[in-house]
This record gives sequence, C-alpha cells and structure tokens, in this order.
Amino acid sequence: MTSMEAATAMMKRPYEVEGGLVRLRAGRCPECGAVYCPARLVCDGCGHRGLEEILLAPRGTIYTFTTVHQSTPEFRTPYHLCYVDFDEQVRVMLPAAGDERPRIGEAVEIVLGTGPRLVDAEPEEGPHALMVAWTATGKGEGDV
Amino acid sequence: MSDVYVVGAGMTPFGKHPDKTAAELGAAAVLEALDDAGVSLGDIEAAWVGSVFQGMAMGQRALGEGGISGIPITNVENACSSGSTAIWGAAMSIKAGEYDVVLALGVEHLTGAFRGAFTPDESDVEAQRGLTMPAVYAMRAQRHFAQYGTTSEQLAAISAKNKRNAVANPLAQFKKPVSVDEVLASRMIADPLHLQECAPVSDGAAAVVLASKRKRAALGGSRAVRLAASALKSGRAEVGLKDMTVEDLTWRAAEEAYERSGIGPSDVRFAEVHDCFSIAEALRVEGLGLFPHGEYPARVVKGEADLDGRLPVNGSGGLLGKGHPLGATGVAQVVEVVRQLRGEAGARQIPGARVGLAHCRGGKAQGVEGTACTVNILTV
Repeated sequence: MTSMEAATAMMKRPYEVEGGLVRLRAGRCPECGAVYCPARLVCDGCGHRGLEEILLAPRGTIYTFTTVHQSTPEFRTPYHLCYVDFDEQVRVMLPAAGDERPRIGEAVEIVLGTGPRLVDAEPEEGPHALMVAWTATGKGEGDV
Repeated sequence: MSDVYVVGAGMTPFGKHPDKTAAELGAAAVLEALDDAGVSLGDIEAAWVGSVFQGMAMGQRALGEGGISGIPITNVENACSSGSTAIWGAAMSIKAGEYDVVLALGVEHLTGAFRGAFTPDESDVEAQRGLTMPAVYAMRAQRHFAQYGTTSEQLAAISAKNKRNAVANPLAQFKKPVSVDEVLASRMIADPLHLQECAPVSDGAAAVVLASKRKRAALGGSRAVRLAASALKSGRAEVGLKDMTVEDLTWRAAEEAYERSGIGPSDVRFAEVHDCFSIAEALRVEGLGLFPHGEYPARVVKGEADLDGRLPVNGSGGLLGKGHPLGATGVAQVVEVVRQLRGEAGARQIPGARVGLAHCRGGKAQGVEGTACTVNILTV
C-alpha cells in the first residue's frame, strides 16, 4: 500500500475494533517516537518520512471539554466535545456520547456512534463516527 | 536596511454594511489612508491585501475601485491574521530596500455570508467531528478555570471592558455598554462562553501607508509612527500533551518582535490584542508576557487593563466591541495604535502613550497550535 492509499484508508476507517474495544489508528515516528493522530506523512519533530501505524489504547483521560450550543447546520445541538489524552502521549478531539457533562480528569473509552453530525452515513464511515463514553470505573477520578 | 514608518492610516466604520461591497469598503479605507499620509495614488509602489472569504483577487478589486492599478499587488490569506500578514509583507519589502511607499489593506464583507458558528476548513477532521471556533476557545477556557480558578464572571468582565471602550470609538460596531450580568445572561454558545463573549460578524476595511525613512523625511510632517518590529509566525505541530493555556505561537512572535525592536514587555504602554473571545484576550496578554500567566482575568476585574489602568488592553473596543471583519482586523489594530501614539484617539486617548503593541492571531487547523500570529510594535 502506498502512503497515499494508506492515508485514504485511514480517513475512511480511522480505528480498529478488537475484542469489543475501539482503538484509534495513529502514526508513530520510528525515529523519535512522536505520535500523531491522525497520522501524517512526515514527522514534524525530526523530519523522518513515513510513520509506522499503531493503535492507541482504547481508553484515555479527558483533558478538557465543552458543550456546544451553537454550531453549523450539519450538527444537532447541544453536544459535548472533549480533548482526550492517551498514554501514547497524543491528544485527540472527540465528541462525547450521552447527555452527561464531561469532567476534566475523567477516564473514558472509545465507543462507536454517529456523533452530533446529522448524516445518513453508516456509523463506521468517516472520522465523525468516533465518540467517547464514560467507563464504569472512571467516574470522579479527580481534577487536573 | 531601512526603518519602516506608518505615514498614513484609514479605516471604515466596522459593522453591518449590506449596501456596500468589499471593494467599496476597501477603497474607502485606502483613500483615507492616502489622504492622511499626504501621498497621491501614483506614489504607491506596491500593495499587500489581506482577506479571508472574499474570493479571487480581492486586492485588485478594492484597489481598482480606489484608482490604483498596474503595481505589484499581493493577495494574502492567513486566517484572521491576513491583514496583519499584509503589513508584515509590506514592511519586509521596504526593509529589503525594494520600495519606499507600500500600502497594506485588510478587507472583509461577511454580512449574509455565514450561518451559525465559524469552523475550521470543512476538510479538517476536528471540524467534521463538530469542532467550532467558539468550542476551541471554550475548551481552553475550561482549562484556565481548572488550573487558575478563573471564573465566568471574570471572563465576562473582559467583554464588558471592551464593549465599554467601544462606546468611545465612533468606528466601533457596538455602541452600548454591556454589564457583566448582561454578558452572563446572554445565551450560551460553547460552555463557558456566552454570546457576548464572542466577536460578532462584521464588515469593514482598514489600510495603512508604510514608508521608508527616506520617503518619510521627504514627506515631512511629524505624525509618522515608527514600526519598530513586525513579526509573523505560524503554529507549530502539536506533538505530545501540551498545556492549552500557554500560547507558544503568540510568545514566539512576541519574542522576535521584542528582540528586533529592543522593546520588552515592560516597555509596552498599551496593547491591542486578538480578543476573538473573552478568554482569548487572557491567553494573548499572558502569552505576550504582559501579565503573569493565569492572573489576567482577575486583574481585569481590578481595572488594570482599563483605559486608565496599568496597561490598557483593547482600548479601541477590541474585536468584541469594535467588530471583527476577519481580514481587516489586523490592520485596524495597527490603525488604532497609530492614532493612540499620535494623540488622536479622542475620548479613549491613553495619555502619554509612546509604545504600543498590536497582536493578531488567527485560525485553527488539525494538528497545529494555530494558523498564524503577528506582533507589531510601534513607537514615537
């Protein structure tokens, strides 16, 4: 697969499901270890061309969040957005499933869903398919 | 390498201009700037024109309307920093010794062009997942709350300050003061940011005439303001888990401007900064090193950033009060600094102002901290 084909494939399905757990595709620089999600062609840190594909852990921690009340007409409001930190030292923005207000420091896991976007597409198509939801054990794991 | 001077400034009222085209607004600002400088159409040797959503060849359309054609015209799109990037380019061409008189114009006509919130480009992965520009800043505000104890009331005080300043600016979009309670009572856009904490949709244009030291001397007069430094940076790739309350992009632009001008943050008497949202003003001035990190919102409540405070911020009303016609904003900030330094700012005049800073930062794209940031330092 060429890098262009790989990039296209990742846009279509930017995750894998393993044993019921959803893991995001990301790119790691084999030279300096920097991680990008989504992946990119060249590592910004060291200039290395060609990142190796990795799957992020299925769980992360909410770094910050908001509830969006006004958006563009393609989205139903209100909806929650979070930046989620992963152990692989990468931060990813994802919409949160459910109505509950997110909290900084809370543990979350990736689930599949249509998200806030008003689309007819199947949930597993496109980057907007990803969401986060609370883990059973993650509630109230402190602030900041 | 020549010093660069602002010898003329012009600006249309900001606000809703449904009956005017972008070209007409641009031409009006250009003609005012030329008259202010005392130069004629034929004196302009080159022009840089910033806009964001105005389509092809905005510069040729606006300057053509204003009677300028045939010279090198460079059109710039750099998100909200488009206009200030035009100033940077124009200043570079004078510093390089290529030209003596160069025009920088910023222009934008947005009335009727948008519904709902601004978003990054639609190809952006985060935009496809629902990220809006207010959401970007709302999430940074939540971190400021969590890390420094900042409150909604403190952020609302930033909006109230800027809208109060705008009342003293006849070119501003908003004409009425808004109280902290009214800010907090306005509808929520992206938690914790209310409508009155978001810059409005605006039309407008602003222009400056830049000149070399030689041309400035030939023009005579004493109203020229020296552009002591103009710095432009783009956002670095986001690698790792960084503190989102820290503006590396703003600091790198500021650091270069401070070094080049020999003017440090403690020398700056007043600042116009990119307050696209209430929290943005805090992130900017803290990133510029003008206020201690994490403390700005509380200090606004104490009046330190008021027109008669220790370091007035956005005395023009800022984007929140004056309006935010994207491409015009960065030039309008410099127009304001020039008028303050000349003592021509009327009811909002900052007494004895001799060093002013203009900061403009725009845009969001997946994987980078921000699109572009300029810092211009001006002095008399």
